Amino acid sequence: MKAENYFVLIIEDHPLIIEAYKTALNYYSNYTESVVFSIQTAHDCDSGSKLIKNALKSEEHKYIVFLDIKLPKSKDGKLLSGEDLGQLIREQLPNPKIIVSTTFNNNFRVHGILKNINPEGFLIKNDITPLELLETIRVVVEDPPYYSKTVIKLLRDQVVNDFILDHYDRKILHELSIGTRMKDLPKLMPLSIAAIEKRKRKLKQMFNVKKLDDRELMISAREKGFL
Amino acid sequence: MNLRCLPLIVALCIAFGLATYSCDKHPKITNTPLPSLKNDSVSTWMRASKNTSYTLGQRKQFLTKAYNTLKATPIDTVQVRGLNTVAYQNLRLGDTVLFKNRTSEALVLGKRLNDSFAMGDAHWNFASYYNHGQDFDRAYYHFNTANGYFEPSGYNFESAKIQYGMAFIKGRFKDYSGSEVLTFLAIKKFKKIEDYRSLFSCYNHLGTLQNDIYEYDKALFYYDRAIENLNKLKNNRSLQDAVLNNIGNTYLKKGDYPQALQKFNKLLKNDRLKFGNKDSYARTLDNRAYCKLLMKDTLHVAKQLNEAFDIRDSLDNKSGVIISKIHLARYYVYAQDSVRAVAVAKEANQLAEEVKNSRDYLESLFILATIDTQNSAAYLKRHIEYSDSLQIIERKIQNKFTRIAFETDEYILETKRLSDQKFMILSISILSVLIGVMFFFNWRQKTRHNLLLFENEQQKANEQIYLITLRQQEKLENEKIKERNRISEELHDGVLGKLFGTRMNLGFLEIKGAEETLKNRQLYLNELQTIEKEIRNVSHELSDNIDSSQINFSMIIDDVLKTRGKLGNFKYELSFDESINWQQINQIIKVNLYRIIQEAIQNIIKHASAKNVSVFFTFENKKLVVKIKDDGVGFKSTLGQKGIGIKNMSTRTKKLKGKFTVISSPKNGTLLKIIIPLKNKKNES
Repeated sequence: MKAENYFVLIIEDHPLIIEAYKTALNYYSNYTESVVFSIQTAHDCDSGSKLIKNALKSEEHKYIVFLDIKLPKSKDGKLLSGEDLGQLIREQLPNPKIIVSTTFNNNFRVHGILKNINPEGFLIKNDITPLELLETIRVVVEDPPYYSKTVIKLLRDQVVNDFILDHYDRKILHELSIGTRMKDLPKLMPLSIAAIEKRKRKLKQMFNVKKLDDRELMISAREKGFL
Repeated sequence: MNLRCLPLIVALCIAFGLATYSCDKHPKITNTPLPSLKNDSVSTWMRASKNTSYTLGQRKQFLTKAYNTLKATPIDTVQVRGLNTVAYQNLRLGDTVLFKNRTSEALVLGKRLNDSFAMGDAHWNFASYYNHGQDFDRAYYHFNTANGYFEPSGYNFESAKIQYGMAFIKGRFKDYSGSEVLTFLAIKKFKKIEDYRSLFSCYNHLGTLQNDIYEYDKALFYYDRAIENLNKLKNNRSLQDAVLNNIGNTYLKKGDYPQALQKFNKLLKNDRLKFGNKDSYARTLDNRAYCKLLMKDTLHVAKQLNEAFDIRDSLDNKSGVIISKIHLARYYVYAQDSVRAVAVAKEANQLAEEVKNSRDYLESLFILATIDTQNSAAYLKRHIEYSDSLQIIERKIQNKFTRIAFETDEYILETKRLSDQKFMILSISILSVLIGVMFFFNWRQKTRHNLLLFENEQQKANEQIYLITLRQQEKLENEKIKERNRISEELHDGVLGKLFGTRMNLGFLEIKGAEETLKNRQLYLNELQTIEKEIRNVSHELSDNIDSSQINFSMIIDDVLKTRGKLGNFKYELSFDESINWQQINQIIKVNLYRIIQEAIQNIIKHASAKNVSVFFTFENKKLVVKIKDDGVGFKSTLGQKGIGIKNMSTRTKKLKGKFTVISSPKNGTLLKIIIPLKNKKNES
């Protein structure tokens, strides 16, 4: 049986982590002997996008991409994070298997990543151990997806709470949670202040918050897994 | 010469008799009305005292009663003028001491009341008194002073009377032109008030004056004018007789004896004279006889002269007796009976000396000098000496009159100057006081205004400081948040990533060793993972900034109500309209609203003793409406006076161009309503 060849792109700004991925991939290929990984690395959005452009784009090639979300943004300012890069990868590479690995564990980002990239593997860095990393590689190669525990938990919570929050609702909640001022919100999203206020009121109703201040809303949203 | 002098003397005597009478005051004083009931008794007593049917003692008693009644009335111009009348009546009844006391009293009171009529009247009284006592220079002084009061005040009758009196005195001392001027002044006034009786006296006086300066035609002219005025009066017989006598004398003096004789005859033809005024009759008889003597018609002359002499002697008319004796002496001279002539002339001379009739004295000396040839030189010498001394006295008195007039004028001027000065000083001081007061008020107003401005500015400054501190705090808070976020990010992305990488790599390292060692390795790896989690938690907590994210207006208000609610022991309800975007509302509005609510709550705690307080924030028609309601004791909001609290709240609302209303009534609680217009949203933030 001829070993399958995977082109692996590791886009990660921490060399240590790149090293860890490499070790894991080698470990896996040595262990199974049915897969061969040819590994290329990039450290930021610019080198990442370059890597994607230069990659052989053939249907016969199989790609696995380790994607960090927190990456230095591109110089032209078009790619702000791994999330944008992920979308680029989806567009440009044929059937890429994307493993998002991030330290973010908040609902808003997770939700956004799921929606925008729909990764084959979703790892929250601190959840995983070397064994879990190996397992991820296995699942992604053989039968994706693999979500790490935190992601699954968030998804579960949201399914239980029958809320329909769109992207902006989540963004509002997120921004408020990190202390962004109301007056600055219209700069961050294409909504007027009145619209934002309206959404906030709706959110309060949804989360059954009667108090006037936003704090109660935050607490409630966090309880229900939206933050 | 000798003969020519005579008629003058006669005329003068006659004129004096008339003038002395007419320059006296009339018993009734026209300008002193005594209408009131109180004064009725005074006037009754006065009338009784004037009634000649009572004895002198009774009349004096009546007058004293009038005086006492008058003194009981309050001090005013009526009383003072009454007092003058009483005093004059005293004089008429011969009570000079009482007269002097009362006139002085009237003068003092008049001065106190500043009643120029009363003062003039008092001086007139004195003048009359001295005139009677032949103390002419004093009389003149009082006349002059009285006129000083009457003339400027427009008392025409009184002023004219007095001027006439003064003219008479001047005429007596041969200041003819002065006397004439005064008489004309008096005539002008008398004409104005149509007092024909007085006009007659004035013209008669003028006639006499003209006689004295030998202007006989002019004298006759004036006598005619006197008669003209007299004809306008009823009951004028005796006066007419007197004028006719004067006219006769004038003709006599002029040398027109037939005319003179005609006048005298006309007078004597009427029996009225003979049975009426015996003095007049004797005078006319004497004059006619003397006229005949001058016409050298000696028939019955001696008999008539003697008859006149007898009448005069029986009447004890001394000056008449003297004149009769002089005429008799002249007759004896004519009849060349020098012994009798000398005897009669000597008698006349002695008598004249006795009664101090200087004219007759001189006349008799002159006659004696011509007939008593032996002592002619001595008589002539006496005559010259005496007439010289007389002239000197007259000059002195004339000078005195001038001085009095001058001094009075000067006194009047001085008084006027002083009163002008007083007025000036008074008006200047009042003006300066007014200006001072004005300046004071101006200054006070300015100070108050400045104080208000200062307070206003201070308040503004305070608010600005408050705003600045608020902004500063916000900035500080922002920076804090930024820094926390940075640290959080650093931990999350940097440290956490590195730790993760290290842990993974460590996990993949093939380590051979005892099982115990491998186990421990795994343990440490797990421990590392735990550390990662802890760090992540720390990072999250750091970035979890919602607690201190912003100074929330609603929270502040809630806080105020909470803490004050405990203090004031009331329950509160706070509601915010959801559509109010507090972030967009100007900080100044928020600061002022906060202060207003604070003040309102303060008032509720202090005065209302409310159980429930509700505060509503609503948004209507682009206006922010705040209602603060309590169920306390309330007050009358219609009452004009406002407390400082309400004033402050009102001022603050006005500053925000809003409307502030208080609705309250006792026992129904209070509702404060504040409506503040919000500007365009774009300008707001």
